[in-house]
Amino acid sequence: MQFPDALANDDVSLDIHRGEIFALVGENGAGKSTLMNILYGMCTPTGGEVIVKGKRVQRFSPADAIAAGIGMVHQHFMLVPSFTVAQNIVLNDEPRRHGLFYDFRAANATVERLVAEYGLRVNAEDKVQDISVGLQQRVEILKTLHRGADVLILDEPTAVLTPQETDELFDVIRRIVREKQMTVIIITHKLYEVMAISDRVGVMRAGKLVGVCETKDVNERILASMMVGKEVLLDALERIDDHDATPAIEVRDLHVADNRGLPAVRGLSLKVERGEILGIAGIEGNGQSELIEAITGMRPVDSGKVFIQGQDVTGKNPRQIRAAGLAHVPEDRLSTGVSAQASITENLLVGKEKDARFSIGKFHMKKQAVHAYAQEVFDRFDIRAASVDKAVGSLSGGNMQKVVVAREFSFDTPVLIISQPTRGVDIGAMDFIHKQIMDKRNQSCAILLVSADLDELYRLSDRMVTVYEGQITGEFIPSQIEKTELSYYMTGGRKEDANEKR
Amino acid sequence: MKSAERTRYLASLAISVLLALLVGALIMLATGHNPLEGYGALLAGAFGDERAIGNTLYKSAQLCITGLATAVASSSGIFNVGGEGQMFLGALASAWLGTLLKGSSPWIAVPACFLIAILAGAIYAWIPAVLKIKLKINEVITTILMNSIAIFFCTYMANGPLKTAERGVNQGTDALDKAFRFPRLIRSSNLTETIFWIAVISLFVWYLMSRTTTGFEMRLTGQNSRFARFAGLKAETLGILGMLISGAMCGALGMFETFGLQSRFKPDFSNEFYFDGMLVAMIMKYKPLGTILMSFFFGALKMGAVTMQSRTGISSELILIVQSIIIFFMAAEEGIMASIKARRTVRKAAMTLSKEVTG
Repeated sequence: MQFPDALANDDVSLDIHRGEIFALVGENGAGKSTLMNILYGMCTPTGGEVIVKGKRVQRFSPADAIAAGIGMVHQHFMLVPSFTVAQNIVLNDEPRRHGLFYDFRAANATVERLVAEYGLRVNAEDKVQDISVGLQQRVEILKTLHRGADVLILDEPTAVLTPQETDELFDVIRRIVREKQMTVIIITHKLYEVMAISDRVGVMRAGKLVGVCETKDVNERILASMMVGKEVLLDALERIDDHDATPAIEVRDLHVADNRGLPAVRGLSLKVERGEILGIAGIEGNGQSELIEAITGMRPVDSGKVFIQGQDVTGKNPRQIRAAGLAHVPEDRLSTGVSAQASITENLLVGKEKDARFSIGKFHMKKQAVHAYAQEVFDRFDIRAASVDKAVGSLSGGNMQKVVVAREFSFDTPVLIISQPTRGVDIGAMDFIHKQIMDKRNQSCAILLVSADLDELYRLSDRMVTVYEGQITGEFIPSQIEKTELSYYMTGGRKEDANEKR
Repeated sequence: MKSAERTRYLASLAISVLLALLVGALIMLATGHNPLEGYGALLAGAFGDERAIGNTLYKSAQLCITGLATAVASSSGIFNVGGEGQMFLGALASAWLGTLLKGSSPWIAVPACFLIAILAGAIYAWIPAVLKIKLKINEVITTILMNSIAIFFCTYMANGPLKTAERGVNQGTDALDKAFRFPRLIRSSNLTETIFWIAVISLFVWYLMSRTTTGFEMRLTGQNSRFARFAGLKAETLGILGMLISGAMCGALGMFETFGLQSRFKPDFSNEFYFDGMLVAMIMKYKPLGTILMSFFFGALKMGAVTMQSRTGISSELILIVQSIIIFFMAAEEGIMASIKARRTVRKAAMTLSKEVTG
């Protein structure tokens, strides 16, 4: 399978046996979900074959997958909120009376039969919008079972669950595998869950399957080191050491909720001094995005304080926080970092249009000056495009990111918040962006860096903290900690446990 | 729009227009008319004599100001379907004040009426804008519904409380002072002096949208409001500002109609003017300059259609068909270009992959 620019699955071969629980782990973007989407017929492989129950399948579609007994429960549920549990489960296969009228009673009976058979307790007549996420997930599972699936793919099933719901889910999985000889594939990046539930585990890294093991033969540390792999070698960056101890960013006991209103950041505190880069390492979805959004004013703060340059900016809007001396490279450039329809010039200008050099009386734009400025930045940041008038949406990921970095860095603020600066960016652009970040640090900016790429964090950070479920699990100096150990903290390990295991 | 993209867009627009006219010709043939005769009558109706040219110009100006009103609101992120209602309120408010100020100097009365017209339009547009931005209530629904409220309210006022006592006028307010009215530029045509004011307003809006920081920020907000907020722009204010300007323009047109053509507020003064202008703006993707230019084409089409019907018996509805076909083609254009692009990308990807495999 290939996305326009990247190979998501590179020559992967994998056998999964009937009646086993197979876990597929890997970092963000390692290709787990793509592999499973191929199996479920949602992506077409550009090469290779899929064999289900001895039969080779070509031109696979989700309908074929369902017919072959494969069911998939996605991270984002596909349910109709205003329908009842039973209506959702029988959707597209509704029982009818006289072949015409929807038979609600029969639908409820079907669901009750399923519930009794598999022991997944739900109330058939509840509306989906009124039940908890854990129950919604059960409805999704029942839906696939109703369609006769005996292979169940669960994509990050525990990401949305409370620990108790997770335990219940695992009980259910164990039961259906034991009693019904079902096959279950779980995609996850939580290593303790792999240990808790799976029979075998496959580890993916950069689109390749780097190993398949019996779970009983491995432990979390071995898995973590397989996930991380060895690094790409890049030249070391020049680091000038003269940071002063005044904290430019300070976060005190911050609590932030995610989009569903559940706690995402839970009592997190940190400080970044001028002239240093603090790296935040963590598996995606552990509160990093919410932390950054709260600091930069894109998300409300539940409690706690944020200071930028000593100024309390808690609960202020992005405009006010920028005025306090902050610039921000956001994690999702397309939705937040640029206007895709606007030109490179316009995207570079945003935020500076009212400067005296670009407009008269903050109103009439000086076309010439704006163009000259855009051209200068365009050249300096080596943005590759036909001209500065091109729409940013037509650029490659790397060049689009350079536009964002160029704009934000040229505000010359003392504080920079940088999220995923090189995601989906080719190695040349990555090296360029890294050098820009390091230059800023050497000019005594305080930089908070969030990245899913450990190599990047090691290369740039002066200090690193690991976060797990919205809390800091440890603080490290990059040269003093192995990646394997770091991944251990990223997946929920605590310092005390680590010492015991050793 | 970037130049290559603009060329491409203009080319597809030209092709769409030609094809639409061709389909129009086929329909004329099918209904037993001579297309040459039909289009000939249409041209004559639009440009045949002074009067025709006057009417065409005025229709174009109407389309232009309403089209720009749509464009301003849309480019800052809110789709204003309520221009008709805003126009009605502007018309009624100015007529009401105009009758109150009867006898005073036109140098005071006319600007005051203009002011109250744009205020009425802007305030009526502000309501759905705030509902959209603060409460996320869909503006298309609120503005459409608010059209009916405004039109019924104005109709009631013109038939009830504000009804003139003049004989022979069955609905409408008192006639406005002669000194307040905009004189006609060409006798017995619809062209009044208001066309100058419409031109001034249109130029101002074009300037605002394409040459000022405010227009720049409004456009960015419309394109990606999350980005605008992220970049520190006052996204909410800018969105509301777009609607205020749009509503004010519609209110102004209401006043121009009342003080120009009608000489009093009449509840039947508009034949859904706003929606015609809205279509022009949509075809031109809310670009100010394109909307201004396209208004002339549609203005000619609209005025010509009337003469075409009276001279050749071809129904003027044909022009609606032509118009719809252009819109249909232009909507399809985006899909067609996207599918060509996607096919190219896939081919490219397959080629790089096969290179990687063989190499």
